[in-house]
Amino acid sequence: MSSKNEWLTSLKQPLNLKKKKGLIDFVIQLIFLILTIISASFIVIIIVFIGKEGIKPFITDNGGIGNVDLIRFLTGNEWLKGTAFKSNLYSVGFAIINTLYISLLALLIAMPIGVLTALFIAKIASKKLSAIMRTIIELLAAVPSIVYGLFGSGLILVFVYNLAKIFGVQSQGGNSVLATILVLAMMILPTITALSEVAIRSVGKEIENGSLALGATKTQTNFKIVLTSAKSGIFSAAILGIGRALGEATAVSLVAGNAQSGPSLDFFKTTSTLTSIMLQGLKETVGLDYDIRFSVGLVLMAVILFSNLILNYAKKMVGNVDVK
Amino acid sequence: MSMSNKRKRKDFVLQAITYAASLIGVFILSLIIIFIFKNGVGLINWDLVTNDYHAQYYNGGINEIEIFSKTVKPSELSESDFYSNKWGLALTDDINREGRAIVVVSYLANDSPLHDMYDKNDLENNTFALEIGNIVSSIKFENKESALSVYGAEKMINALENETEFREIVFSSLGGGIRGSLITTLYTIFFTLIFALPTGVCSALYLTEFAKNNQFTRIIRGMIDMLTGVPSIIFGLMGLAVFVPLTIRYTPASGANILSGSLTLAVILLPIIIRSTEESLKIVPDEYRFASLALGANKTQTTFRVVLPSALPGILTATLLAIGRVIGESAALIFAIGTAVKDEISIFGKSTTLAVHIWSLMTDEPANIELASTISIIILIIVLVLNLLVKLLSKAYLRNA
Amino acid sequence: MVNNIFTISNLNLEYGSFQALKQISLNIENKKVTALIGPSGCGKTSFLRCLNRMNDLISDCKVSGDVLYHEENIYGKNYNVISLRTKVGMVFQKPNPFPMSIYENIAYGPKCQGLKNKNELNRIVEMSLKKSALWEEVKDRLKNSALSLSGGQQQRLCIARAIAMEPEVILMDEPTSALDPIATLKIEQLINDLKENYAIVIVTHSMQQAARISDNTAFFLMGELVEYDETDIIFSTPSNSKTEEYITGRFG
Repeated sequence: MSSKNEWLTSLKQPLNLKKKKGLIDFVIQLIFLILTIISASFIVIIIVFIGKEGIKPFITDNGGIGNVDLIRFLTGNEWLKGTAFKSNLYSVGFAIINTLYISLLALLIAMPIGVLTALFIAKIASKKLSAIMRTIIELLAAVPSIVYGLFGSGLILVFVYNLAKIFGVQSQGGNSVLATILVLAMMILPTITALSEVAIRSVGKEIENGSLALGATKTQTNFKIVLTSAKSGIFSAAILGIGRALGEATAVSLVAGNAQSGPSLDFFKTTSTLTSIMLQGLKETVGLDYDIRFSVGLVLMAVILFSNLILNYAKKMVGNVDVK
Repeated sequence: MSMSNKRKRKDFVLQAITYAASLIGVFILSLIIIFIFKNGVGLINWDLVTNDYHAQYYNGGINEIEIFSKTVKPSELSESDFYSNKWGLALTDDINREGRAIVVVSYLANDSPLHDMYDKNDLENNTFALEIGNIVSSIKFENKESALSVYGAEKMINALENETEFREIVFSSLGGGIRGSLITTLYTIFFTLIFALPTGVCSALYLTEFAKNNQFTRIIRGMIDMLTGVPSIIFGLMGLAVFVPLTIRYTPASGANILSGSLTLAVILLPIIIRSTEESLKIVPDEYRFASLALGANKTQTTFRVVLPSALPGILTATLLAIGRVIGESAALIFAIGTAVKDEISIFGKSTTLAVHIWSLMTDEPANIELASTISIIILIIVLVLNLLVKLLSKAYLRNA
Repeated sequence: MVNNIFTISNLNLEYGSFQALKQISLNIENKKVTALIGPSGCGKTSFLRCLNRMNDLISDCKVSGDVLYHEENIYGKNYNVISLRTKVGMVFQKPNPFPMSIYENIAYGPKCQGLKNKNELNRIVEMSLKKSALWEEVKDRLKNSALSLSGGQQQRLCIARAIAMEPEVILMDEPTSALDPIATLKIEQLINDLKENYAIVIVTHSMQQAARISDNTAFFLMGELVEYDETDIIFSTPSNSKTEEYITGRFG
């Protein structure tokens, strides 16, 4: 606000009214500032409080059970050696590997489908068909995770079970790596499609026209020029997609099967991810078996942060390389 | 130079897979809708919304009966409905979810003497009655052995028909209603909005109207933005670590409750509400603000009387989206509200929302896919309607802007 | 001996209910520069885009009349539009290089037509860049991004890109309006060299440019072809009074 405005307005009022109004301004601004700081502080609260609980298993005695060894926790292949309430031999190493590679595979499935669907909506379909398809994608995005979990549990598990039978493999009612990957791929598909569509739409018409004027077909133009120009935005869509896949909990826990050890490399075997481990066995409220849940949460946050950093770095690299 | 056949084929193949990819999305959506509806539609009726989830057990007694029923077996009943003329009662065999045989009341005549039963556990109970759909476990007689449901409906009706009185009838209501979860969901929406809207809107107002463009503001914005990348389950852990102990300490709550859940959800919604409000505040032209200030109003008056009303549609949109998010949220609430399905709801007691109720049903042995699907139908329809409203609102708002 | 590469008769063009071109008839001479001039909105760009059927991309666009290219009506049924565009190239007002290397920009067109031979592609790239007077400036950095070039260089790149297709006609839609005077001069010199081998049809806002570089000039006004003649005649003794008014600057 310019001082000229302030000067003008200050001329028009009696002094005590101006002071009162100034005071109100000050108080309101203070209240708003406090609320804003509160809003901003939650990210810190999350890290601090989950960190506080999550660190406990590693640095305290856990009521006589003994502390959990950090290295073993991060690299081990069995959730708990021993019985609950009595053992400190927790580890999530296998779950970290599962989480990463399952999310990656889900992304690899969802990307081509999502990007091509986005291309269809943005460049190929008629206006009406575009609108319908876009609505369908929005509907898919609006379905809550738990409903995807229900759908996965009811249909995908049956599908995988029968598929396994065809291959002559016994699966545990369909709960498997494959089921988890399929459910995750379905869930991140709308995100990838929507963001890719935005990226594709923002490709300038001039270079499309340039390509067509050279005698390229629409399809050639779409694949060689449009998609490559939208590279950066499509990559961002992938980053968001995999972020969602890494953090997904309820749907995964209903189809993964809760394997207690791993990593599960067999597609038809049961598995566990960091999120599904957090959701299993919710009975305890104190002690190591309660705190360890927070430790897993910390690991999940670290995994997500780490993968975000790597992917954003990769995105910068991709942006600088010229298309061949 | 011209296009060879090989090029034409490649072109065609690329087009074909593009069309195919788009169909996959349609296919998935159809499958989901078909699955949910096929499994859930059967349970949809008004009782579902009003019934308790847990079965209630009753013990009914009866005094001397003067007049017995005169109703004959109604024609709409079938062979498998076994009818007692005297008592105006029809029982039939059925199988419950666990696969055990049960006896169900399929008809009760208006003049049945059973309407005069009293509650053996609460003599003051005036609203005690046997209803259609109730499950009869046993009828205990004075002079002969009890009729048990394991022997089937026909034997029970025959035993009853031969008597003019009985000592006690043990029965239960069906349960499986979602009234409790529905009420919890409504409470949660209410409290979440109470916590999230003022905080979010005021934060947005501060950031847009009052804050200077300096490092501090940028850091604040960055910290708020970081919240959007956090998965819901982590918010759940935060709720468990912060809000649950907080509510236990300062309220009558003894575990995760509606308040701790609402507080957790409010945090999840903050970045959404702040961003949406900021967007609609930015659209308000600066001329409005200058005009108001030039007339002698202070910043507060300008903000509340001029800027905020123009931003209301955006805030409304954010609210609708927030409600949708609350209804669908599961992972965070599993920790922050708990998974105990209750029929008596208090904001400090244990209960759970519709979405978490689905989770609870699916992690049961055996999983109750039917009821889970029914609840999903309800959730999907509400979320759909909300999204539609948001779309219509945005269109109307853009037209006016 | 007049050699016409395009024969246009009674060409009408409608965008929805607006008639952009009314009964246009003229011939484009081969290996000559034909300039299209006229005030904004007179239809000259719309006319240009008819010649390579780029107007097809605009929805609600209706064309009637004959546009004969080598005696064949390009608006006839089953006419191969893709093939047409390989013979009739286009350079746009604002340079629009692809976000690829300089090499890949030039090689794009031939590759789309199925050319894979590396040596052949190298030859085409070099030839096109030489013909558009860009070779010396970029021969050492062909793998660099085309977007790193200056505006004038980018436009010459676009011309090279069009030449790589070995067209017969090059259509240019105000190719220098986004460029500085020096770059403009270079392009005008280039056009002068190119007309030895290609027919060039150029839309220009600048009458001086039309006078400088073209052999024939067509004056459009409100969708109609007012006058079409040799450039010298148009600019010294035009037959139509409206032409004279435009040339002398009384409007437009």
